[in-house]
Amino acid sequence: MSVGDSQLRPLAGDDPARVAARVALAELRREIRGRFARAPVAARRTALPEDWERRFESLRERLGTLGMRERSGAVDEFGMDAESLSALRPLLDFLFDRYWRVAVGGIEALPERGPFLFVANAAGILPYDALMIAHAVERARGERPRFAVADWLITLPFVSPRLARLGGVRACPENALRLLAAGHSVAVFPEGAKGAAKTYRDRYRLARFGRGGVVRLAIERGVPVVPIGVVGAEEAHPILFKASAPARAFGLPFVPVTPTFPWLGPLGALPLPAQWVLRFGEPISYADLGRDAARDALLVSRLTEELRARIQSLVDAGLRARESVWSLAPGNS
Amino acid sequence: MSTSEPGVIAILGLDSFVGHELALRLAERSPAIRTVGLDVRRPYMLDERVRFHPVDLTDPRADASLAEILAQERVEAVLHAAFRTDPTPDLELDHELDTIGSLHVMNACAAAKVHRLVVASSTMLYGPHPDNPNYLSEEHPLRGHPDAHSVRDRIEMERLLGDWRIGHPDVEVSVLRACWPIGPTVANRVVQYFSLPVVPLPIGYDPLLQLVHEQDLLDAFERALLTSRPGVWNVVGSGVLPLSVLFRLARKRTIPLPSALLDRLSYYPSQGQTGDPPAAFFDYLRYLWVADGQRGWDAFGEPVYSTKEAWISFVSSRRMRRYR
Repeated sequence: MSVGDSQLRPLAGDDPARVAARVALAELRREIRGRFARAPVAARRTALPEDWERRFESLRERLGTLGMRERSGAVDEFGMDAESLSALRPLLDFLFDRYWRVAVGGIEALPERGPFLFVANAAGILPYDALMIAHAVERARGERPRFAVADWLITLPFVSPRLARLGGVRACPENALRLLAAGHSVAVFPEGAKGAAKTYRDRYRLARFGRGGVVRLAIERGVPVVPIGVVGAEEAHPILFKASAPARAFGLPFVPVTPTFPWLGPLGALPLPAQWVLRFGEPISYADLGRDAARDALLVSRLTEELRARIQSLVDAGLRARESVWSLAPGNS
Repeated sequence: MSTSEPGVIAILGLDSFVGHELALRLAERSPAIRTVGLDVRRPYMLDERVRFHPVDLTDPRADASLAEILAQERVEAVLHAAFRTDPTPDLELDHELDTIGSLHVMNACAAAKVHRLVVASSTMLYGPHPDNPNYLSEEHPLRGHPDAHSVRDRIEMERLLGDWRIGHPDVEVSVLRACWPIGPTVANRVVQYFSLPVVPLPIGYDPLLQLVHEQDLLDAFERALLTSRPGVWNVVGSGVLPLSVLFRLARKRTIPLPSALLDRLSYYPSQGQTGDPPAAFFDYLRYLWVADGQRGWDAFGEPVYSTKEAWISFVSSRRMRRYR
């Protein structure tokens, strides 16, 4: 009481009980402050690193979010995340330079200004081809194209969120329109599921190109189409045949049987180190046709077939550039 | 069509979040607006500026009694927010209220010559589907979720409303499809789920989610009631965030579980609480159902809060995050 008395002079007419309470409160506050006052720095020397608290916290947090370790909080409106991309870039670099030794041709001929609609042959179960195209374009031009992901991949847990963080969107006209309108280039694979499900026997023979959606989109948006022939992706997962009985059990469109999968288990899902070639063709502009041409079904179908033939010839050129599945012919680098 | 502010506004579902908050906002706004509140029960806290009438929309003769009240009060604009906030195990009653009750509201509005009808809907009606485009426009078909009965009822409500609109071109109908509202005060099943101490969620999925801040939602409803904005609008916050980032921002612990296990574990709790199997909710955390808000922002103004800011406002109001 003695300490409080000197500081809190009771006002005239104040209720004595309230004065007593105020004094007790002041004393309690002082005691709490005293108890939590920081000791001098010298007295707190420990063997732990200075930021151990922060480190421990971040470790705990990482353990807590083990199942979904996307790194940053900032994604763009399509779910691409620059930070998880840069975290994966060393792996992509390794795949591009060392593992598949991707030989890129024709990309320097692209005009300065985008956006473009990249159209390529689809191959393989996982969209490695899309990732490699995006990587090649990003290296040459600094901007990363987005890529379309087939419907059935979108339903796959673990794979689909990861692809979205890397710039994948579901393959549908609404998404492509929105991306192009926002100024992003888009890589599409009009063969769709038919391309991914190609067996080794049918490799590099392009399947039908959807229903002409790509050409219609290019005409409507006035965006040039860049055909790309991808060689190598179809040997990364050579599908010997498709098993349908286990596919029905798991509700999948098909279960691929490759020389390594499912025999080696998850290890068999690793792609084979084939030699890759990416051939970029000259951009095709449909600007002189006018936007109404998109409604001319016969014209769209003819242009689609022409586009398919262009990509087929690029693929054939890419195949000629290789000596074998595993190496380039001499003189091609 | 009237372009001036309506003098008398009726709020159906006065005890709902939107109804209650909007009644207060309108009362604060100007004394020229008279607010009539309707609900099945008298709200526990009722502002004295709001005139209350009890109406039970599940009653087969609700249309006549509602029309009588609307005509007697000379109501010019109606806000229809008398929906189940959350689905209940009583599937039939939910249907009676959400679908048939809305039909009563439409018919009563027609009989009482109401000029404007604003209906609270949800972007949940688009449904979570892996084959959704990243942004759903207002024209996208409402596919809902096969297990979510409440969503099904409200899709039927919107279909009935669409038909009704054709027959009553003199009534301005605005349908506001809002995504999950979040903020310091709004309370519903989704907020409850987000507030769990440890949050179970399906492993391997990390969809982009969008949220709207409660104040932005109320702004949109207020504008829809006071100005002429006929049509269907998505009311959403700007920007999207992956589910995992939401929980990381809140420093929340999660248990990601395989879908089969999660659905099995939460089957009985979910059936007991909502009358639906758990997929009816968890699919909204698996697949995309993000709506394109551009048209709504053009009509009702840019939202003050982005999805992230709305989430932070919720998180900090609940003191989820430990600051040091």
